[in-house]
Amino acid sequence: MQTKILLDEGEMPKRWYNIQADLPTPMDPPLHPATGKPAVPDDLRHIFPMELIRQEMSTERYTDIPEEVRDILTLWRPSPLYRAKKLEAALKTPAKIYFKWEGVSPPGSHKPNTAIPQAYYNREEGIERLATETGAGQWGSSLAFATGLFDMECTVYMVRSSYDQKPYRKSMMQVYGAECIPSPSEKTRSGQAILDRDPDTPGSLGIAISEAVEDAAAHENTNYALGSVLNHVCLHQTIIGQEAQQQLATVDTYPDVVIGCVGGGTNFAGLSFPFAGAKMTGKHPETDIVAVEPAACPTLTKGLYAYDFGDVAGLTPLMRMFTLGHDFVPPAIHAGGLRYHGASPLVSRLVQDGVVRPVAYRQNEVFEAAVLFARTEGIVVAPEAAHAVKAAVDEAIKCRETGEEKTILFNNSGHGNFDFSSYEAYFAGMLVDYEYPAELIKESLSRLPVTG
Amino acid sequence: MTTVGFLVNPIAGMGGAVALAGTDGQSAEALRRGAVPRAADRAVQALSALPGQDVEWCTCAAPMGEDVLAAAGIDHYTVLYRPAVPTGAADTKAACRAFLAAGVDLVVFCGGDRTARDVFDAVGREVPILGIPAGVKMYSAVFAVNPAAAADLIHRAGEVPCRDSEVMDVDEEAYRSGRLTARLYGYACVPYIAERTQGGKQVFEQQDEERAKNDIAAFIAEIMIPDALYIIGAGSTTARIMERLGLLPTLLGVDAVRNGEVVARNADERTLLTLLDEHPRAKIVVSPIGAQGFVLGRGNQQISPAVIRKAGLQNLIVVATPGKLAATPLLYVDSGDVALDREVGDSLQVVSGYRIAQRKRIVHPE
Ligand SMILES: Cc1ncc(COP(=O)(O)O)c(C=O)c1O
Repeated sequence: MQTKILLDEGEMPKRWYNIQADLPTPMDPPLHPATGKPAVPDDLRHIFPMELIRQEMSTERYTDIPEEVRDILTLWRPSPLYRAKKLEAALKTPAKIYFKWEGVSPPGSHKPNTAIPQAYYNREEGIERLATETGAGQWGSSLAFATGLFDMECTVYMVRSSYDQKPYRKSMMQVYGAECIPSPSEKTRSGQAILDRDPDTPGSLGIAISEAVEDAAAHENTNYALGSVLNHVCLHQTIIGQEAQQQLATVDTYPDVVIGCVGGGTNFAGLSFPFAGAKMTGKHPETDIVAVEPAACPTLTKGLYAYDFGDVAGLTPLMRMFTLGHDFVPPAIHAGGLRYHGASPLVSRLVQDGVVRPVAYRQNEVFEAAVLFARTEGIVVAPEAAHAVKAAVDEAIKCRETGEEKTILFNNSGHGNFDFSSYEAYFAGMLVDYEYPAELIKESLSRLPVTG
Repeated sequence: MTTVGFLVNPIAGMGGAVALAGTDGQSAEALRRGAVPRAADRAVQALSALPGQDVEWCTCAAPMGEDVLAAAGIDHYTVLYRPAVPTGAADTKAACRAFLAAGVDLVVFCGGDRTARDVFDAVGREVPILGIPAGVKMYSAVFAVNPAAAADLIHRAGEVPCRDSEVMDVDEEAYRSGRLTARLYGYACVPYIAERTQGGKQVFEQQDEERAKNDIAAFIAEIMIPDALYIIGAGSTTARIMERLGLLPTLLGVDAVRNGEVVARNADERTLLTLLDEHPRAKIVVSPIGAQGFVLGRGNQQISPAVIRKAGLQNLIVVATPGKLAATPLLYVDSGDVALDREVGDSLQVVSGYRIAQRKRIVHPE
């Protein structure tokens, strides 16, 4: 039995898969924040390059991956697919557990899968600098890495609680040549406004996005880059799931359960969309596709499916998605990359349509699973990825109880080598089991999350 | 340089070893049963652990302080009060008044709940107080967790923030006959150090108790439903909800609110039951009370099992600041109605911020 299934560089997928082509009805369009009318490509031109806007709105099934991008992706792709035999043995489960290991990328997660093409398209259109936000620091490191390769400048607004928790992420961005600023900052009007109200705020992804968008809009040579949520980001990540399909095919396997953690939803989309497409088009209608989120920020399980802003200040277009309200500042859980009030509109749509099943877990049980994973498979995963590990472990335990020999596939989206303070807090018994008081909020109907 | 007023209740803590619950009015009996004064040992432990000598000490003569300072190797101090022997509550209060007159920055005492109450009676919120735990049982939240923690807090008294901490009134007579009644007596200012982990997360969230109370109050005010009755329990966290609504809270008692107006102030159980007859749609908002974190059964006795059953257990909303929750890893439920306690289950959701809650484990004593 093989432990890891590898593909040759030549076998790396040559195009990205767009799930919009396989949706039964079109997506609801994003709306212009000021007019409330459907946004048109021109509305986004001041922050995004045309090709990314095209990809954002495209319904074509495939987009070719440019040669120059493919070339860079081979620095770590195709990524290995592992069979977690030692974890299976520890769980005494008849289930087969596979995971796609995205922590092999230089910055340590799936994020460069989209950072590289985003930097590439921006450079192609003459942009010299990118502004972005980062939660866990994985995205900031990835865009810093990518812009460096294309000789561009990069400014990263890093959510302050993460900035304080993980000083080495900032150092990594510096090594790659980017500037990293704790958010909220005094550099932008939106950051200043938050600081005026609340100088001690831990910050949030929603706030950091406002700052980066404002920075990009204010500078002619600068565009904005988003590491999650948007359709084109999901698109770039589908290389993960396509590889996984090829890898599983070499051992004549198709998964019964496909699992990923959801912050904005893109690593989940990346692994699961090729499988979700096959599910919707009837090729594999039975696949159980599971999106895992933190109980502290349970967008998909407890949120409202509605139009809302992508950021706190209300600068982005309104998107129809599951949301806890754009003004919600999630508690400072250690999975910083999952602290987002909304979720990818595509992932939201699949949840709404019943194609994807969302689940939520609390911090301590997530870290418990991560520690078990480290002690069996050796990899110390990022707190975000640990959510997927936890769901996979639970599915495998269910199989032990029912005797089913299911094949479980999860996305291991990144390593936790900068997250040891979180593990330390777990071992010290200091992790708080936050949860979102959804029942209390729901009861007061007039106070549903503020949406556009 | 901080000036600290230091006193020991020499008879505190004697009862436990000889199976008396508390030593109020019982010291002779405790001594007869062979108890040895324990408070002094605990206090010596704490003060010996003090790293430097940058504290100016004011104290009381002989067993009420001086002996302990000397045993801990502290030789510079001023004796401000000389008690009669045997010492009593009046001496504790008189000593505190002497400390205040001398302008101390902090009053440190070694004793139990009763001593805490006496110190609080005299000092109020004028200066911070801190207990070195030595009593038989401590329900008040004014004590450091152990002598070493007390030493750390005394050493850093000038730099660390203070927070509101419950002083409990424990009826020792009743306790000795097997009943525990612990009422919320007041809120003292107590220095504290937020738990620090490398993650920095806890620091963020515990830093500011006031901010947390405001966030909780904002959230509860936001989710209030028109026409429903809100029974607001005792304590400084729930009081903030009242203030948020522009209402005057009863810090140590229970208020009832409906449509933004007070319908009963400092209500007793009967009043609450009558109100629930009129307004069956109701929510009860309580905060864990005391050092142990009692959600039910201590400090909120007016919110009796009958009141809770009438409103419905599912309508109980528990609120507490992250700092309080960090200090009480487990919460307790002891309503006096075992079946009701059991219905609460093994865990409860506790609102700890604006649209933020924590899941906390519940313990049923005994
Ligand atoms: C390792 C890792 N996994 C997952 C995520 C969540 O993002 P997304 O849901 O877009 O994959 C992040 C975000 O920072 C991350 O760093």
